[in-house]
Parts: sequence; C-alpha cells; structure tokens
Amino acid sequence: MTVARQRIASLHAVAPRAREADALAFLAELSRSLAVSLDLRETLPRTITEVRDFLDVEGIALFLLDAATQVLECKVSAGPVDVTGMRLAVGQGIVGRAVAEDATQLVADADADARVWRAADEATGFVTRSIVCAPLRTAAGPIGVIEIVNRRDGKPFTEADAELLDLVAAPAALAINNARMAGALLEQQRLKREFDLARHLQKSLLPRRRRDAFPVLGVNRPAHEISGDFYDYFELVDGRIGFVVGDISGKGLDAALLMVRAASLLRWAGKDGLAPSAWLARANDELCETARDGRFVCALVGYVDRAATRIEFAGAGFPPVIVHRHGRYDEYAAGGPPLGILRDLVFGQHDLLLDGGTFYAFSDGATDVRDTTGKPIGLSGMRELIARHARETPQARLRGLLGELKRLHLVDDTTLLLVEAPQAERPELLLARTLPARAEAMRELRAELRAAFDEHGIEPRLRDRLVLAVDEACTNIIRHGYGPECEGAIVLRVSRSDSMLGIELVDDAPAVDPASIKPGPLGDCRCGGLGVALIDEVMDEWRIEPAEDGRGNRLVLRKRIPSWACEEADDT
Amino acid sequence: MSSSHPTTANSVSREEGAGYVLVRLSGEVDLSWSQDVRRAVLAAFAGNEPVGVELSAVGYIDSSGIAALVEGLQHARAQGRRFALVAPSDAVRAVLELARLDRVFAIVADTDALLAST
Repeated sequence: MTVARQRIASLHAVAPRAREADALAFLAELSRSLAVSLDLRETLPRTITEVRDFLDVEGIALFLLDAATQVLECKVSAGPVDVTGMRLAVGQGIVGRAVAEDATQLVADADADARVWRAADEATGFVTRSIVCAPLRTAAGPIGVIEIVNRRDGKPFTEADAELLDLVAAPAALAINNARMAGALLEQQRLKREFDLARHLQKSLLPRRRRDAFPVLGVNRPAHEISGDFYDYFELVDGRIGFVVGDISGKGLDAALLMVRAASLLRWAGKDGLAPSAWLARANDELCETARDGRFVCALVGYVDRAATRIEFAGAGFPPVIVHRHGRYDEYAAGGPPLGILRDLVFGQHDLLLDGGTFYAFSDGATDVRDTTGKPIGLSGMRELIARHARETPQARLRGLLGELKRLHLVDDTTLLLVEAPQAERPELLLARTLPARAEAMRELRAELRAAFDEHGIEPRLRDRLVLAVDEACTNIIRHGYGPECEGAIVLRVSRSDSMLGIELVDDAPAVDPASIKPGPLGDCRCGGLGVALIDEVMDEWRIEPAEDGRGNRLVLRKRIPSWACEEADDT
Repeated sequence: MSSSHPTTANSVSREEGAGYVLVRLSGEVDLSWSQDVRRAVLAAFAGNEPVGVELSAVGYIDSSGIAALVEGLQHARAQGRRFALVAPSDAVRAVLELARLDRVFAIVADTDALLAST
C-alpha cells in the first residue's frame, strides 16, 4: 500500500478533488469487494457505478480482450449512453491503444486529438470531451481496459485522474483474472468427472471376482486414469468357462471407448461356444468393419472346464502365454495378428491338458516392465516372478506378481489372468511360529510381527496396535494360562483371508473358562485387566475356545485391514 | 522399520536432580522386566521430591509396563506427591491414548516442567 499512498499523495498535490484518506478508503473497499466476489457478472456493474461516482465522471466502461480474436468488447458500462457490446480492435481508438501499448492513455481535449475514434459519438449523439483509459494489467499482458469519459465538473482530465484510474484498474484486473482461472479450474473439474465416469464404466465391465471354487482369476491395473486393457470370463450352458484378455492400441478416451466396444464384442462372439480360432475370426471381422484411425485390438480368448483339466485358447497379436506345469514352463505364441486390421483371417489355436498346472496370460504392459538395468523383463522375467510366487494361493500370487511389477515401475496398462484347478479357499499364511511361553521370548516375536505386517502393507500405527494386541494375548497366556510354575509353548499363526487379518494362538495350558475373561473399562486407573481391554479395543473380534484336541486353549483374534480392503476393491 | 522401534537395550536408572527424582527407562518395557520397573518407580518415592519417569527412549510398552506407571500414580495420589511422565516417546503416547490414560497422567516435556507442574 505504500506505493499507492505515495502516488495518491503526489496526485493530490496537483488535483485535490478527492482527499487522500477518501481515496485510500475507496480503493481498499473496492479491492475487498472484488476479492470476495463469487460472481463478477453480478459484482462488476455495481462496482463500475461506484467507481464512476467516486471519480465524479459522466461515463465509465470496461472492455475485455478476447485473446483469440484480439477484439475488445465492452462488458459493462455506466453513463448517459450504454456502450455495452461495443467492439474495438486492438489499437483502435484510445481504448484499443491502451491495450496495444499496455499504457494508460490520457486525452485532455478529445476534439483536438486525432486518435479519438469519432464513430462512437456519431452513432450515439454523446459528446466526448475528455478521456482516460487504463489497461487491466496481468503478468501475461493486458486483459482489457477501463475507460472514463468527461469529468462532471466540465474540466479536462489531468495526470492525477489518470493515476487514480490506474490504481482502480489494478484490483479489477486481479479479480477478473482470478475469476477466469477459477472458471478454467471448473472446466478441469468437469473433465475429471467425465474421466472418472469413463473409468467407473470400464471397471464395471470387468467381471466380479468369484468367491466360489472357480478356475479363472484376473487383475487389471490401469497405468493412467482410464485403461485400454480388459479381461472377462463367463460361463457357457455346457458348463465350460470362456475367458478373454484384451489390450487396445493407443491411450486416452477414444482407446477406452474402443475397449468398451471390443469387450462386449468379444463376449458376444464367445457365447456360442465357437472354437477359439473361430471366435477370434468372428470378432476380427466385426471390428474390421468399424475400427478406424489405425487402432487395433490384441486379444486372447479361450475355454476351460470347471475343474481346469483341459484348456483351449487362441491369441491375436497377444504376448505368448506361459503354462507352468510340474516345474516346467512352456510358452504358447499367438495364432495370428491383432484384430481390426485385416478381414477374413484364420487364427491358430492351442488345445492342451493343464494337468494340475497353471496357465498365465498377461498383456504386454507386464513384459514391457523394465528391470534394474533398463531392459524389458520379457517372458523370462515373468517366469522368474511366477517361480518366486508359485507356492502362494492364486489370489496372493496375482497380487504378488502385480506388486513386483509395480515395484519395477509399470508404465502401461497391465492385465494378468490365471487359470488353474480351483482349491478350497484357504487363508494366506503370513507368519507361523512356535514360541516358548516365556516373557523373554516376546521381544523377538514383536520384531517378527512388525516385519511381517510391514511386508504386507499394514500402516505403522495399526501395525503397532496389532503387535500390542498379540503381545498382550501371549503375556496373558504366559501369566494366567501356564502360570509361573508351568513351562509350555504357544503356537502362533498369522493369516490373511481377503481383507481380514486372523491371528490364532494355541496353547497347551489348562482349559480356561471363556466367560471369566472380560475386558475392563479403558481409562480406568487400576493395574489389572488392562491387557484384555487393549485387545478388545484393537481387534474387531476375539474369542477363546477349547483347542481341537481337547487339551489347551485356542484364542482367535480378527481385524479387518482397511488397506487390504482397498487392494481387494482394485482387484475386482 | 519405523524409528519408533529403536533397538536400544532395556534399562532402568535413577537420577537425583535438583529437587526431583527421575526414573529413566529405555528399551522395550514388557512382562520380562516390568517388575523391575515397578520396583524402581515405587522406590523413587522414598524422599519428598517430585517423581518423574523419563520415557523418551522407550520404543515399546505393554500393559504390564503401563500398570507399573499406574501404580506409581496411585502411590503418589495416596501420599499427596507429585508424579509425572517426562517426554514420553510416540510409542508410549500411542499406548496411553489407546488405554485412555493420556489424560490421567501428568505428562511434561522435561524436568524443568516437572518442577513447575505444581
């Protein structure tokens, strides 16, 4: 404000029309009302009238510059003649000149100045005697002009009037610029909503994960907001299961829309139980009729029986599949080029006995991931990753593979699909330990638990609470189950089933009465019962029951892990 | 592993300051030695000075450790003495909050505050 104050002080030395304090107060109020305005279309007309009255002039007008056409258009005006809608080229008249030169223009005597654009007066009958125009300045250049015409006292405008208008123009320019940026932000938000909608639509096309004994399982990880990859599976009337993995060339919204079309087309073409080669041929002919702009679709389609004994499949421009069977890895190449390029193609297909093995199909987003030396990991890299996770459950394996690929840095959409004989759903074991029932064993156990929880992505705060709960459970067994005189062991199993963490503690101590173990109230300033209260606070549920073989006790703690629930949601 | 789990050795020591007694704990306070902690805390009440338990180097505390602190608090209340936890680590604070005891104990930042907290 110091510079403004100096300028106002200096201008009042020449023209004491408005007192300095008044001018400052007016400018402050003007800045404030413009800054808090949510809708300039409503604020500007009122503001412009206030400025006119404060400056004591006959007419005032605000022109905004259209950056594309370089035309200035009057958006608001106040005075004897409404000039709203008047259009001027940059450089035309005094208004146009203020923008062209990015400098305030003062015309004391309009009659004597050839630069004044006379046509305006001729059209309106208004007599312009004196003009000041100040550009609306921003960092990116002027965005418009504020113009005042004729002092009401009949005198010509002076340098002081020009400086005052310049001061008024600054907050006006700021407010208009802000409003424009806010408008651009709204537009971005609208686009984002549309992208979100497209992504949800895509996700809704992916099949729900089957919780029953089902041989096919897939994951899809888009590299950007929307994916060009998809997978699908469905049951035929004869009991076989059809499956599809697809990868659309290109990125962005139009690739996503082609993906939606290709996904429904491939599902439709496979519903009749045609041989995989004929299935691809049918989808290819359909896509050739409509695919444009050089876009194409890489796809793999096939069938498997429910017990996953026999699998038949065919690929179109898709990376080779890997079958891991009895310690061997076999690769099966695609039977033809991508879909949507040439009509009337014939695709080759494979037909094999899975024989307890696992079939892996993955889009090139997986094989194109680069290793630490910068080379794509390729099929051999995928084989290594598969070997590393081979002993895990199918769901954990897919999650593990995707996790490793993510660590190496995924740059493309990635889809993995796995087919193998279904097992009864068994929980994934995170940690299993048999420890002596002694307090001295707890520190090491806590370290192991922390490491296991870290490895499985449980955030530190929750991890520490879970470690505390398990520790409290163990020390209760040590203190109250076995007692000081008795030696024994505790068998600990930590497992994951979907988003649920399960902790099982089995001891060999005399049976306890479950009803005798109750959590005390927390916040209670007593020494006993706190351990059970803490377990109760941390865990979602816990129960104690006789161990299976009749002797000892089994304590089960369960807790839903929010970050795991997010993973599950991503996997569907 | 997070820094809230330093691998410092378990130890309990007693420090006679100017007008206070400080019991300094470090390591992971659990059932294996919480009885030592309990004894040290109670023994600190032998004189008449305010008693503080310094917990900045404690990476873990279980309910038996909390119970030793609660016993100290109860002892102090019964005798009308000052008792405070000094600079508890994040790990200790988290358990106190979980047990809803963070407002039951007087918690101070340092020994100066211990003296001022009358």
